[in-house]
Amino acid sequence: MERRKTYIEDVDRGIYDIKNKFTYRYKSDKGLTPEIIIEISKEKDEPKWMTDFRLKSLEIYSSKPVPTWGADLSGLDMDNIITYVRPDADMGDSWDDVPEDIKKTFELLGIPQAERESLAGVGAQYDSEIVYHNIKQELVDQGVIYTDMETALHQYEDIVREHFMQLIPPNDHKFAALHGAVWSGGSFVYVPEGVNVDIPLQSYFRLNAPGAGQFEHTLIIVEKGANLHFIEGCSAPQYRVTNLHAGCVELYVRENARLRYSTIENWSRNMYNLNTKRAIVDKNGTIEWISGSFGSKVTMLYPMSILKGEGAKSEFTGVTFASTGQYLDTGTKVVHAAPHTISSINSKSISKNGGHAFYRGLLKVTPDAYGCKSTVSCESLMLDNESASDTVPVIKLDNDNIDIGHEAKIGRISDEAIFYLMSRGINEEEAKAMIVRGFVEPITKELPLEYAVELNNLINIELEGSIG
Amino acid sequence: MDRWDKMKIIDKENFIFPNIIDYKKDYLKSETKLPEGVVLEKITKGINEIIFDYLNTKEFQGVGEKFTSLAEESYNSGIIFYIPKDVKVESPIKIEFDMDEENPVVINQNIIVAEKGSEGTIIMDYTSSEKVGAFHNGLTKIYAKENSIINIIKVQRMNDISHNFDSNIAIVKGQGQVNWISIELGSGISSSNYSNFLEAEASEANLSSIYLGDGKRKIDLEYSMIHKGPRSISNIETKGVLMDHAKKVFKGNLDFKKGARLSKGIEEEYVILLDPTVKSDSIPALLCHEDDVEGEHAASAGQINENKLFYLMSRGLEEREAKKLIVEASFRPIIDRIPYEIYRNIVVDEVERRLMDGKN
Repeated sequence: MERRKTYIEDVDRGIYDIKNKFTYRYKSDKGLTPEIIIEISKEKDEPKWMTDFRLKSLEIYSSKPVPTWGADLSGLDMDNIITYVRPDADMGDSWDDVPEDIKKTFELLGIPQAERESLAGVGAQYDSEIVYHNIKQELVDQGVIYTDMETALHQYEDIVREHFMQLIPPNDHKFAALHGAVWSGGSFVYVPEGVNVDIPLQSYFRLNAPGAGQFEHTLIIVEKGANLHFIEGCSAPQYRVTNLHAGCVELYVRENARLRYSTIENWSRNMYNLNTKRAIVDKNGTIEWISGSFGSKVTMLYPMSILKGEGAKSEFTGVTFASTGQYLDTGTKVVHAAPHTISSINSKSISKNGGHAFYRGLLKVTPDAYGCKSTVSCESLMLDNESASDTVPVIKLDNDNIDIGHEAKIGRISDEAIFYLMSRGINEEEAKAMIVRGFVEPITKELPLEYAVELNNLINIELEGSIG
Repeated sequence: MDRWDKMKIIDKENFIFPNIIDYKKDYLKSETKLPEGVVLEKITKGINEIIFDYLNTKEFQGVGEKFTSLAEESYNSGIIFYIPKDVKVESPIKIEFDMDEENPVVINQNIIVAEKGSEGTIIMDYTSSEKVGAFHNGLTKIYAKENSIINIIKVQRMNDISHNFDSNIAIVKGQGQVNWISIELGSGISSSNYSNFLEAEASEANLSSIYLGDGKRKIDLEYSMIHKGPRSISNIETKGVLMDHAKKVFKGNLDFKKGARLSKGIEEEYVILLDPTVKSDSIPALLCHEDDVEGEHAASAGQINENKLFYLMSRGLEEREAKKLIVEASFRPIIDRIPYEIYRNIVVDEVERRLMDGKN
């Protein structure tokens, strides 16, 4: 059984595991020194304030200790992570201009096809730099900006300077500081007042270089009354050395605006995914997080919503699937900082074959935020007894005029449910897969179709021959 | 356990102990004759280290190591209660500490051992005289062997210039049962920890508690159920009311260790918030290393249900009276589990007095 499982996993990762010959135009030395930072900044032809910002962040990075409260990060050898790798390609808006091997990788991952069929714009990042960015013309005409961060830094310097790392300052934690020092690539989206982007934008991040780090920065501003759905996808092939992903996502949702941010993360199993995501929501705005964590060796990811304006709303829907050798520490943080704000959190986690899923969440209501409502629901499914599943939701309430409900459940697939399905002629494994699919259904139904299909496939293959 | 967000409302590390002086009053009140073989006596120095060594467990932190070691090394009171095999002690053992000007310090260590198939009930009541800043630091250890039942009721109603620290540990063997009722009404600063180790097949622990935070009270509660044995059962039911400037931290840990197959654990915390100035923090943790278990926790917090309030007021009750009635209704199921009427009345009266005197 064990052998068969390994076999299937290898096949499953097939398209993600294609390694390209590691060619690059510029690669910084291993380790981190101010000289390397200055060099990266120079290579990118950045304004001086950004170079200074990077150096200041590096200082903070060196002064902060590695956090010890969550995952074991001792396997992370920072001196051996290559921070900046520039692929041997220039950014283009025509798919044909992208070098053949890189193009092939993304095509296998289904990126250009998805663009043709259902996306309004696509960005693709290969190692540290965006290699492709495209957006539908009608959106450009409406004033929507969708480009990579490097271009944004030059073309929209004022907006970037006003918002860059304001929500996630470098002194937030060690990896935010690291990000501030070595960030590269990522997407910049600006949706002007009242514009409704009715088809999703997507960025796809692919890390090919062995032992490298990916530090993309995503900055999205959705102006008053505007509407956007943004999708982020991540993957990397499996190498023997550890890779690090320490990206930052900063989302500004203005009055009456709405932003849905979906992530399907399927990093390879040697990845330390230490991403930081944060949204600030003004009056009557809405942020919706859809978050799927499947890959990586270690994940520590807690998207945070700050409900700053009266009537702001946040919804979090997350699914975490931890398998052999994985420690996935995920959750969400919500701060109710204004009256009549509403939040709902719905988290599902599955652990199997020795995987460890950890839900860690924070719900905070400040003294002035009266009339808030929040519901938190965490469900965990354990598929065997080698695995582990923990739930630690922190609830901090500083006023009385609120309505807070929290629920959590843990357990296994009930024998009755399996028996019932089997009595209907479905074999045991299919029955279990059906139950798991039903368990994550609230998540899959929130995803665009092709992602939902991908998620279902992942769950199918992950489960096959592995439980019972 | 390392926590993401260590919430501290009481600075225990820097807490300075008062001078330790003897507690001279009689605190052990047993009304009837005890069955043969039962040992019930005041603890004497040096006794427990030899006999009850097996009650030391490294996983147990209590309210803090500083406090548990003070209770182990420098106790000035406490009991040893031993029930032999198959003996049922019908009448409750009453332990009453009434701290006053001459006896303001109680540092007690209580050791309770129930042999196979035995049964017993203990009530511990802590009070302090008006205007006395009393200090209580307790450590209660229960060892419940196979098929035994221990019921233990703790009523803490010390005044609001007093300090209360209370660590409790229960080790429960196969089909043994420990039932705790904790009534937390008093002390300006109160920190209590209940840790239950369900060691073997069908070990069971139940914990029902109420707390009332008013004035500037700080309440720190930590309840742990550590499931080790298969088919072990645990229940935590906590109901609280916070008003004025009260602050509370509640940590409930439901921990299923590997091997705790077919175990069940339920943890519930409901708190009613009566004033905008209160602070209420909760961490209901659910930790699981075994797949075939059922674990659930639920927490809710909010104001008094407006419909209920409206209904009662439409029947002619004043707002304060109506609120009091609703709070009492929430507490009542737990108060009713106290097996002796006199204590039930004490608790009901105290809750009523505090709710009516307050500005609510």
